[in-house]
Amino acid sequence: MTTRQFLISAWNWNPWVIAICVATILIYCARHHFHFTRNIGWLLAGVIIFFVTLVSPIDALADGYLFSAHMLQHLLLLLIIPPLILLSLTPAPNSNRFQNGRWKWLNWILRHPLANWFLGVGGMWLWHAPALCNAAVTNVWVHRLQYVSLLLMGFAFWWPVIGPWSKQRISPLAGMIYLFSACVGCTVLGIIITFSPVEVCSIYLHPVDRLGILPLIQNQWGLTPAKDQQLGGLLMWVPACLIYFCGIFGLFARWHGETGDKEIFAESQLTKTIMEKPHGR
Amino acid sequence: MNGGDIPVFHPFSPETASISDLFILVLIVCGVILAIVVGMIGYGLIFFRHKPDSADPASHFGNRKLEITWTVGPILIIVCLFALTVRGMRESDPAANRPPDLIVIGHQWWWEVRYPQAGVVTANEIHIPVGRQWLVRLESADVIHDFWVPALARKIQMIPGQTNHIWLEADAPGTYDGECVEFCGAGHAWMRFSVIAESSAEFDAWLREQENSASIPAIDSVQTGLKIFQTMSCINCHSIQGVSVAANAAPDLTHLASRQTLGGGVLSNTETNLFRWLKNPQAFKPGCFMPNLKLTDAQASALTGYLETLQ
Amino acid sequence: MSETASASVVIETPQRGSASRGLYGWVATADHKRIGILYLLTTLVFFVMGGVEALLMRIQLARPNNHFLSPDAFDQLFTMHGTTMIFLVVMPTLIGLANYLVPLMIGARDMAFPRLNALSFWLLPCGGLLLHFSLLAGGAPAVGWFSYAPLSETPYATTSGVDYWTLSLLILGVGSVAASINLIATILTLRAPGLTIRRLPLFVWMIFINSFLVILALPALNAAIVMLFIDRHLGTHFFAPANGGSAVLWQHFFWAFGHPEVYIMALPAFGIISEVVPVFSRRPIFGYEFVAASTVAIALLSFGVWAHHMFAVGLGHPVDLFFAATSMMIAVPTGVKVFAWSATMWGGSIRLTTSMLFAVAFLIQFTIGGLSGVTFAVVPIDWQVTGTYYLVAHLHYVLFGGTFFAIFAGIYYWFPKMSGRMLSERLGKLNFWTAVIGFNTAFFVQHFLGLMGMARRVYTYPDLPGWGLLNLISTVGAFLLGASVLILLWNIAVSLRHGQPAGDNPWRAWTLEWATTSPPPVQNFERVPPIRSRRPLWDLAHPENPDPIVGGTAARDGFALEKNRVGIVSFLITEGVFFLMLILAYLYYNSHAMNGPTPTSMLNPQRTGIYTLCLLASSFTIWLADKKLKAKQPSAFRWLLSLTILLGTVFIIGQSREYLRIFHAGVMVNSNLFATTFFTLTGFHGLHVCVGIIALLILMGLSLAGDFKQGRIEAVKSIGLYWHFVDAVWLVVFSVIYLRLLL
Repeated sequence: MTTRQFLISAWNWNPWVIAICVATILIYCARHHFHFTRNIGWLLAGVIIFFVTLVSPIDALADGYLFSAHMLQHLLLLLIIPPLILLSLTPAPNSNRFQNGRWKWLNWILRHPLANWFLGVGGMWLWHAPALCNAAVTNVWVHRLQYVSLLLMGFAFWWPVIGPWSKQRISPLAGMIYLFSACVGCTVLGIIITFSPVEVCSIYLHPVDRLGILPLIQNQWGLTPAKDQQLGGLLMWVPACLIYFCGIFGLFARWHGETGDKEIFAESQLTKTIMEKPHGR
Repeated sequence: MNGGDIPVFHPFSPETASISDLFILVLIVCGVILAIVVGMIGYGLIFFRHKPDSADPASHFGNRKLEITWTVGPILIIVCLFALTVRGMRESDPAANRPPDLIVIGHQWWWEVRYPQAGVVTANEIHIPVGRQWLVRLESADVIHDFWVPALARKIQMIPGQTNHIWLEADAPGTYDGECVEFCGAGHAWMRFSVIAESSAEFDAWLREQENSASIPAIDSVQTGLKIFQTMSCINCHSIQGVSVAANAAPDLTHLASRQTLGGGVLSNTETNLFRWLKNPQAFKPGCFMPNLKLTDAQASALTGYLETLQ
Repeated sequence: MSETASASVVIETPQRGSASRGLYGWVATADHKRIGILYLLTTLVFFVMGGVEALLMRIQLARPNNHFLSPDAFDQLFTMHGTTMIFLVVMPTLIGLANYLVPLMIGARDMAFPRLNALSFWLLPCGGLLLHFSLLAGGAPAVGWFSYAPLSETPYATTSGVDYWTLSLLILGVGSVAASINLIATILTLRAPGLTIRRLPLFVWMIFINSFLVILALPALNAAIVMLFIDRHLGTHFFAPANGGSAVLWQHFFWAFGHPEVYIMALPAFGIISEVVPVFSRRPIFGYEFVAASTVAIALLSFGVWAHHMFAVGLGHPVDLFFAATSMMIAVPTGVKVFAWSATMWGGSIRLTTSMLFAVAFLIQFTIGGLSGVTFAVVPIDWQVTGTYYLVAHLHYVLFGGTFFAIFAGIYYWFPKMSGRMLSERLGKLNFWTAVIGFNTAFFVQHFLGLMGMARRVYTYPDLPGWGLLNLISTVGAFLLGASVLILLWNIAVSLRHGQPAGDNPWRAWTLEWATTSPPPVQNFERVPPIRSRRPLWDLAHPENPDPIVGGTAARDGFALEKNRVGIVSFLITEGVFFLMLILAYLYYNSHAMNGPTPTSMLNPQRTGIYTLCLLASSFTIWLADKKLKAKQPSAFRWLLSLTILLGTVFIIGQSREYLRIFHAGVMVNSNLFATTFFTLTGFHGLHVCVGIIALLILMGLSLAGDFKQGRIEAVKSIGLYWHFVDAVWLVVFSVIYLRLLL
């Protein structure tokens, strides 16, 4: 099989994924009564990446062939799709839907950044415990659970940073620490996977060649299992941290832009009056 | 010497040629950026000088569009550079799944060179056939060394406990300088070697010669030299095929007289130099592990006479 | 809030009397200005020593096959030159400047912890003397400033030079970390009203970010050095490949510190330039936010680029490529800064004082160094030029042409504030032109030497075409550069006596240090002017045209921090990185099979699990104790404190019994790498528990001696935090060592 043939043939038209994509877009449209702002761009980007993650050949590769492809899916589900979807939501000061009743626990989690942090970073570590990592490849239900949980943990992680309800957001400075510490968390894991000879997912060391693409991967692409694991570790480390860094700079910009222009003008008028007062030097 | 004054820009192998092209391209890009910065500053220095009694210029706090431009512009440049890097690296990716043609082992402060197929061992001088891509395995016997032949191949460290591989190839016959580039102790400066690229026929002839031990004439003085070699401590560190091949702590001397230099490049290999070296190696390569054996002139010249027969 | 901001703020009067005079006054001082000057004077001495070492090397290299120095002497010289310039000159000079200036620039009376500040300083001469003591003890280290293992291990480095090197670097590291913790606490908690973080002068902002780099990066070096020391003295094999150790791990650890270190030496220099260029261009910095954010970007990225020092190691193409990408990326924020400084000059009214001349030379030379740095990020080019004189040229363009020129600019800029007198501009111009010509002569040709194939750290070289001539040119340049330093010293000596009086604000600058007298009084300020923008003195001088207000009217940031808390948390962060390194070493060495004792054969997770529970329970009891103290129940507090001490002691007893059992089985720290990493990791943790117990005992003593007064409650909080940290570290260590066995 050539690379071209593989890229054409290895699409996994999972009806569930397609249904979720369509449903998400429809619900979004209905909620906004088909009046769109720029935010729909974020939503479409999120949905398209979700689609690509689970339908394109990335999924075929992640399914027992390449640890690095699995890591790519992992990153997209945890760190790319949730923030895109969150950015598409209309900002509001708060919502009282979750204030009490049976969703109270959810509200508690959403309001405690430490819990969100552990969900986001812990999710990453948890799914790379060798037993769980292998189970996710061999057992289809664990596999699905992994996808769903990664998405949910991604939403939880990004909620305090770019969630739509401004009252539940943490301050930009705290947010920078939040993201930086998360970056440290995935750096440590990435370093361990990249440089130590630990076999994280032993299943990827001896792939079962169901699609007949193993020669393609190992000979033509030159991705031996050792290189593959190194690549996976690096993916979890460098691009993941760059995503966090983007978040940090977004927060930095938000922090420095917090005072609107109008306010500045009013203030400078005020200053002038104050400055005219004599002061002792 | 072959290789020109600036071997990095005067390459003699496909690998170094591609690096040289890449390097020149990157230097041009960097030069343009430097010109822009120097131009901006120079213009400012000329046209925006302070004039006496002039008031301070109006405050200007920045220009967001400009700032974004000089953030995004460099990002685009580095994306291109990165693509070039990837392309450049693909051309020097040695295959580790075939047996090496050559094994080079770094020692403090000399190079052990082994031809595994022919079973030949030599030191500080690598002969290769022109136009053939050789896979070289690099090891270290003690500390970290770094193997570099600027005109022929990238440099790579020789690390104890790890094996590294590179390609070595020469387009044209000649002698190319090589050296250790990682500080490895007192003798680091004199841990040089040469790569001698020859036509296939010449190379094969050389290799055949190396496979056999040198023929030693039955002259008295030479036999005295051989005695000295065997009875003084020489034999504890050096090997000579046909005499003793037990030691590996110092260069193999089987064909010493056929080499161009002594002491890792510190002296050219002439009879007088060899005599001076034997009298006191520490005078030429201070700190090296070969002691001053306090040979008398007679002993030294007998030993020189013997070693000179090792063609 | 605007009322508070508008009124001039009266600073509290100093608690200590006027500064004591004479030598004793200087030795015993805890005043940040005096300590700053002590830093600068000490580093000046080391700078001259490092310079002389460099000149000796240049004499040796002036012609091929030279015999002026033996290789051993030469190796000692370049090791000492690198170590001295980095750890005894550049870092402490920048810390010294920060020490002098940060409290003045933020309108504070002193640093947050003045006595800690004095300690940080005195560790510098101690570390420096210890390093140089090696000269009397068999010879200075001769392994290069990055001391690559196994060359630095006992079989190869036989003199005690490397031991002095490790101890001295540990001491200097502790000093730098302490100074940085102090700076963080000062900047976070002692800013004058109105000086919110968004209004910080860029110098202070960069020192702030830089301090985080220091506390995060130096522990990596300390951990590596501790391992090297253990290797050399307890016969272990962390970095000895003959016995299963890894020579590459040393490189990882060293450069994980070493590359952030490059920015530790650059960021404060950027800060100096960001002050000097606007003042002498008479315009505010162009794009403050971008300059500030690019500093953060550099700091963040600097931790992900270390392996570009290791492209020649053969780590594999994927690793090389990722590090190439991050290394190229770090050029972007650096470029943003260079463009911002150039744009600040554009349209300004530039006065070419000596300070500004040095800043302009910095801009160009640093750009050259930065661009040659980009060539190192392109992996194949790095494969050719790394380890050669091209690299030597690059690093000197960054560190001398960059950092030192910025320091010179800073000296000419702030000397009037420190001494009350101006430096001579005539001598200054002479100083500048000799420096700029000497520097470029000395180092520009080294690019070519590298490309011609000359390796760094060779004590001599063969007579190849061109090598002798270029080296001679470089030597001549180096001597010219040496002469320029003498002119600077002469200028300082002369100007201290005969310089023109400076007045409060000779440059008409805009930051707060110029609002007080030159030199400033002991308490720094009588009054701090109102601060509503980034240039308070501009607003004061131009009431008709003030700068726009930055970040709203609030006089304070939205958070209030307590300095002891900031101090202890920063300290714990650096401790955390230290333990992280030990844990990574444990994982690295224990992830594959080895001969000798293994975790499975030696350790019992259940038994240690019980002791672990004790330690965790102690975290709970100290938390309760703190609550009780707040509720003014001293006896309950004492009971809970005793319980905590008891639980901690039980844990230590448990650990000791574990050790004894292992010793009994004939396993020692040098048995194999499992034993080495196990004892190192748990040993350091045990040491921390013991320190914690001692601290708790002291608290107990204080509590018995009399009830806690208001201020002391903070001490309980701090020690409580430390104790929680020690427990949390154990939790991770326990999971890594023991829980893994159960899985």
